[in-house]
Amino acid sequence: MAAVLPVDYISQTLSLNESDNSFVYSHIIRLDGSFVIRTGDAYRDSYFDRIQGLFEDFGEDKKIAQQHISDLQAAMASHQVYSSVFEFGDERRHVYCTPLAYSEWYLVTVMPYNSLNQSVNRLNREWGYMTFFSCGVVLLALLLIFARYFRLTWQQINDLEAAKEEAILAKEEAVHANKAKSEFLSNMSHDIRTPMNAIVGMTAIAIANLDNPQQIQNCLKKISLSGKHLLGLINDVLDMSKIESGKMSLNMDLVSLREVMDGIVSIIQPQIKMKKQQFDVFIHDISAENVCCDSVRLNQILLNILSNAVKFTPEGESIHLSLFEELSPKGNHFIRIHLSVKDTGIGMSEEFKNKIFDSFSREDNTRVHKTEGTGLGMTITKYIVDAMGGTIEVESSQGEGTEFRIILDLEKAEILEEDMVLPQWNMLVVDDDEQLCSSAVASLKSIGVKADWTLDGETAVQMVEEHHKKHNDYQVILLDWKLPGMDGIQTAKEIRQKIHHDVPILLISAYDWSEIEEEARSAGINGFIAKPLFKSTLFYGLKPYTDLTSGQPEHAAQTRTDLKGRHILLAEDNDLNWEIANELLSELNLNLEWAENGKICVDKFSQSSVGFYDAIIMDLRMPVMTGYEAAVAIRNLKRADADIPIIAMTADAFAEDIQHCLDCGMNAHAAKPIDIREITRLLEKFCN
Amino acid sequence: MSLQSCYRELEGDYNDVIGRLRTERLVQKFVFKFLDDPSFDLLCRSLEAKDYDEAFRASHTIKGVCQNLSFNKLFQSSNQLTEALRSGWTPEAEGLFAQVTADYNQTVTAIKALQVENGVV
Repeated sequence: MAAVLPVDYISQTLSLNESDNSFVYSHIIRLDGSFVIRTGDAYRDSYFDRIQGLFEDFGEDKKIAQQHISDLQAAMASHQVYSSVFEFGDERRHVYCTPLAYSEWYLVTVMPYNSLNQSVNRLNREWGYMTFFSCGVVLLALLLIFARYFRLTWQQINDLEAAKEEAILAKEEAVHANKAKSEFLSNMSHDIRTPMNAIVGMTAIAIANLDNPQQIQNCLKKISLSGKHLLGLINDVLDMSKIESGKMSLNMDLVSLREVMDGIVSIIQPQIKMKKQQFDVFIHDISAENVCCDSVRLNQILLNILSNAVKFTPEGESIHLSLFEELSPKGNHFIRIHLSVKDTGIGMSEEFKNKIFDSFSREDNTRVHKTEGTGLGMTITKYIVDAMGGTIEVESSQGEGTEFRIILDLEKAEILEEDMVLPQWNMLVVDDDEQLCSSAVASLKSIGVKADWTLDGETAVQMVEEHHKKHNDYQVILLDWKLPGMDGIQTAKEIRQKIHHDVPILLISAYDWSEIEEEARSAGINGFIAKPLFKSTLFYGLKPYTDLTSGQPEHAAQTRTDLKGRHILLAEDNDLNWEIANELLSELNLNLEWAENGKICVDKFSQSSVGFYDAIIMDLRMPVMTGYEAAVAIRNLKRADADIPIIAMTADAFAEDIQHCLDCGMNAHAAKPIDIREITRLLEKFCN
Repeated sequence: MSLQSCYRELEGDYNDVIGRLRTERLVQKFVFKFLDDPSFDLLCRSLEAKDYDEAFRASHTIKGVCQNLSFNKLFQSSNQLTEALRSGWTPEAEGLFAQVTADYNQTVTAIKALQVENGVV
C-alpha cells in the first residue's frame, strides 16, 4: 500500500520550509544521506556532506563531524533514534533523527539552541526587566510607606518628647508652687502663733492680776493689738482663697475720689506719724471727681501699697502719694486715673521685684528681718487691679526707694456740680509745690474764684501788702503749713501784723493738724483745709467764709434768711437730745416745735393747718411710735401737705437703716451727732 | 476742775464737742443735764424686767446722747450693747451691760466732780 502525500503538506507540517521563520527545521533523508526533502540553507545533495560542510564552515575539527556522521549512520542502520548536539563555534544545534515508519527514510529535526536561547533569553530578559521593574515599584512603595511611617514615628517621638518636657516643667512648677505654699504655711503658722501666743499669754497674765486694773488694761491693749494683727492676716488669707477659687468680684458703686483720698490719708496718717516719716499728697488735673468703682477694693489697693511704703521706709524718709487724671482711651465716658506711691525707703532687689506679685512671696533676708504680714498683699493688689482692667507697675532699686504706679480706666459718674460756685473772690495760694499751686488755681477758677499763687511765705507777705495798698485786698489766703524758710504759721503771723484787715487765712496740710491747732489759731489762722485739694474740698472748705465779714468761722453759721421763721417739727424722745438740737437749730431762727414721740408728732402734724409746718426732723427710735411708723402714718394722711419733707436723724448710720428710712417715705437721713451744717443743707434743699 | 479735764476724766473728746456746740457754756449746760437723763435708769429697769426691746431703745438713746456730747468711752460701750440687743437678748449683752455701767459711773463721777468744783451742787 502506498500513501500519497503532497510534498508541500509534509513540508508545512514538519516545518520543512524556512519561510515561516521558525527556528526548528527538518529534513527527510534516505539511508545514504541524500535528501528526500530539504529545507533552509541545505544545498548539498547529502545530509552527511552538509554536516561535514557545516563543521568545516565553522572551522571545527573534521573528526568530530566524521564521528557524528558515523554515529548517525550506525543509528540509521539499526533503525534507532539518534539524538546529539552539534557544536560549532558559538552555535549549538540539537539534532534528532528518527526513522519514519514503514519507509527507509529518516526524519532529521534540527533545533538550533541559539535561536531558542535567544528567544528564551529575550523572554528571560523581558521577564527580568518586568521583575526588576515590579521589584522597583514594590520597593519604592515600601520605601514610601517606610518614610511615612518613619516620619510619623519621629513626630510621635518629638511630641512625646515635648509632652515630657512640658510635664517636667509643669511638675517643676507644681513642686515650686507647692514649696512656696508649704513655706508660706510654715511662715503663716509662725506668724499666727506669735499673736496667738501673745493673746493666750496676756490673758493668763490678766487673770493672775485681776485686782490690778492697770495691769489688766495693759494686757487688754496688747490682746486687742494682737487680735487686730491676727485679723489682718486672716483677712489676707481669705481674700487669697477667694481669688484662687475665682470668687472675688467687684461691687461697682459711685465713688468720690476725694472721699477715698481723704479716707486713706486719715487712715495712714497715724502710722506715718509714728515712724516720723514725711508724707506728701499731691493731686492735680482732676476733671471727674466721681467715678464708678469698687471703693472698698480701691481702698485696699492704696492701703496695701501705702502700708508697705510705711513699713519699708526708715524714720525721717519720705513718702509721696499722687493722683492725677487724663483722658481715657476707652472713650468719653471714661477717665484714666494715675495713682502713684513713691518712697525713699530700702527698695528691693531685682529678683524680688520680678516676683513681687507672685503668691506667697516676701523678701526674706537680713534686710527685711522683721517682716509682718502674709506676703499676700501685693498679689491681692495685683489681682484687684487686673480685675478692674488696670495696670500696676513697680520700679525700685535697693537702698534708693520704690515707686508703684497704677493706671485705671474708670467710668465717670454723672453728677451735677451746678451749685459749686463761690463768690468772685480774689485769693492767694501759697505752697512750695508749683504744680499744686497751678492745679489749685485751676480748680478755684472752675468754681468762680480768681487766685494768685506764690511759692514761699516771704513773697506772700509782700503780695498781701501790695494788694492792701492798692485797696484790692485778698478775700481769702490759703497757706501751706510746711514752707521753706518761713512756715505757714509764721507767715500768717506776719500778715496779721502788717495789715489788720481780718482776711480769713486757712492752712492747707496733709498732716493731722490737731497738734498745731492751738498754735495756728493763736497766730491768727481761721481754719484748715486738708490736702488733697479737690475741687469739692476747696468748695466745702471755703463755703463757710462766703457770708463772712469777720474772720471768725465760729460765728459763721449761715443765718439764711430763707430758713428764718420756718416751722419745723422735731420728733425726739430724749430731753437732752432735744435741748441740744434746739440750741443748735436756734441759730437758724427757726420756729422749732417739739414732739416727744412719733405718735405726738403725727397728732401735731394732723392737727395743724395745711402748709403750717415746713419740714419734720424725725428721730427713729422713740417709744410709743417709732420714727419709721410715724413717717408712714404721715405719708398716709389725706392732706395736701402729706408730702412734707421728713429728715431722719439717728445714731445708726448703717446702709440698711438709711434704706429703711427712704422705704418709709422719708426724704433724707442725717447721722447723729447733730451737725448743724448738714441739717441746714438738708433743710435748704427740701424747703425750697 | 475745768470742763476740759472733766472730759479727760470721762474719756470724751472735748475738741469735738466744742467744735459742734461752739461755746463752753453750752457744753457745760448739756453735760450737767446728762445727770438728769433717765435713759440709764430705763436701761437698768428694762433689763431687769427682761423687756429687751425697751432695753435696746434705752441703750440706743444713751448712745445718741453720748454722740451729741462726744462722750466717746460711754458711746463705745453703749454702742456695742445696742448692737448686742438689736435683735433681742444675746449672751454678750450681760458683759457689755457691766461695761456700760462702769463707763456710766465713770462719766457721772467726773461730771459730779465738775459740779462740786463749780459750786453747782
